[in-house]
This record gives sequence, C-alpha cells and structure tokens, in this order.
Amino acid sequence: MEPGQYLRNHEAISRQEQQILADKRVLVAGCGGLGGYVIENLGRVGVGHLRIVDGDFFEESNLNRQLLSSHINLGKPKVLAAKQRMQAVNPQVEVEGFQTRITAENASELMQGCDLVVDCLDNISSRKILQAACEEAGLALVHGAVAGWRGQVCVILPGEKLLDKLYPNPMAERGEEARQGTLSFTAATLGSIQASLVINQLLHPKDWGSRVLLIDLKELLFHTIVLD
Amino acid sequence: MIKVNTEDHPWNKPLTVQELLDEKGYIFPHIVVRINGQYIEEDDYATQLVQDGDDVLVLHLMAGG
Repeated sequence: MEPGQYLRNHEAISRQEQQILADKRVLVAGCGGLGGYVIENLGRVGVGHLRIVDGDFFEESNLNRQLLSSHINLGKPKVLAAKQRMQAVNPQVEVEGFQTRITAENASELMQGCDLVVDCLDNISSRKILQAACEEAGLALVHGAVAGWRGQVCVILPGEKLLDKLYPNPMAERGEEARQGTLSFTAATLGSIQASLVINQLLHPKDWGSRVLLIDLKELLFHTIVLD
Repeated sequence: MIKVNTEDHPWNKPLTVQELLDEKGYIFPHIVVRINGQYIEEDDYATQLVQDGDDVLVLHLMAGG
C-alpha cells in the first residue's frame, strides 16, 4: 500500500481499518451527480475495489452538477470517465466499469462478490430492482436521492425495504427533480454523506433502525426520521 | 399538539391532511404523507383527518441521482 496516499486518513481511520477497506468491493449503481461524488470519496478514502455501473454517456446537461463531466469528455461513457479519473486520483483502487443499465436480469450478477451496494440511480423502478437484488444477496444498500436543494439518504438492510416506504406509489417513476432539476452542492452533499455511510458500514456494520436523513439546504434543515 | 416531521406543531381542532399541507406550505406536487406510519393516498388528502397526538411525516418525493 502506498504510504503517503492515506497518511491524512489516520487515525480517523486506523491502519488496520485501512487494510480492511483495501480488501472491500463496493458496487456503485449510477455514475451521475451522486455517483461521481461517491466514487471520488470512496477512492480517496481507500476502498480497494469499485464496481461502477452506468449505461449513459456525458452530455451538456450533466455539466451543472456531475463531478466527472467536463467539456472535454462530452459524449464519453460515464464509466470510462470514472475509471480514468480514479486512475489519476488513486491508482491503487481497482475500478471495474460496466456500461449498462441495472435491470431485473443483471442486478444479482452485477453485485456478485460485492460487500455493499450504493444506490445513485435516477429513477424509482431501477432503485427498487436494486433493493430487491440486495435483499436476495443479503447486502446493505446505501440509498441517496436528490431534487433541487433537497436530498435524502439512508442505509437499507435486508428486510427493511425502505424504498417501498419512500416511494409508496407504484406508478411514480420520478420525483421533484423532474421539475426542479438538481444543484451541484446538493449532489456533492448527499453523495459525500452516502460515501461516509459506506465507509462506516464497511468498518462498523450496524442496524441504523430504518433512519432516513432528510436535508433541505435552502432552509438549512437536517431531519432524521424513522420509517418503521 | 401533533408532530410534523419530528417537530411539535400546534393542534386546535381536527383538520384534513390538505389543510395541514396548506398550513405548512407544502405545495410541491410530489409528496408522500404518512400518519402514524400509515401511508395516506393522495385522493384522501381532502378527507383524511389529522387528530391530536398524530405523528405526521411529509416527505418530498425525490429520485434524482
């Protein structure tokens, strides 16, 4: 392990914990606003293996918030940009890129060998497919979603099915983001909190008691609710 | 007294979910309402009453990534 790369992680993360993280494999589903910040943080902290799934290519409308997007990579597959970025930031991290969408057919296979899954997707049906596959695989799912100035984040353990409570209407596919869009700092805030939950859950697995953190950056409101 | 998103909110008389949403200024079209853990259908906002002591959650539906 490169000695200098993680020097400033210590002792917030001990050397022993650093080695534990180096051996972990995390699936990041979605490589857009949230996913870009999740990948950046997990790679910098030192999660050893990242499996990134996204079928999209960068386009101009991504530039307002997606960390990995730039004018020089418009038209490029998002997973390729993520791989190249991590090669530059921390080449010790192994990045597997899958340029595809999450489906009921491929979700279980994509999470094989992973220790945890991160939900950075942009539609409700794919998120629920991911939750169902995590249930089946017995994996924790770190969920995040954003709209405008607002966001929500939680750890979903098998059996909790919190997405069924956050998205009770089976017909709904999108939320407020369809009307309000998403701002850069909202994606950065929520993606960073997701990354902190991933690291916490990998190092100190626990039951978060169906807690959901709701954030409104416009009003500077942070609420934790329990969806039991 | 009722709770709205974990915070105390005064309750003087039974009011409908829609009246509570109006009072709190929740105007977004994408909202999920739960009272005492029970999901309330949008069609019932005008008739479902909020009673003293109820624990109301009003979630903005967000799915952007």
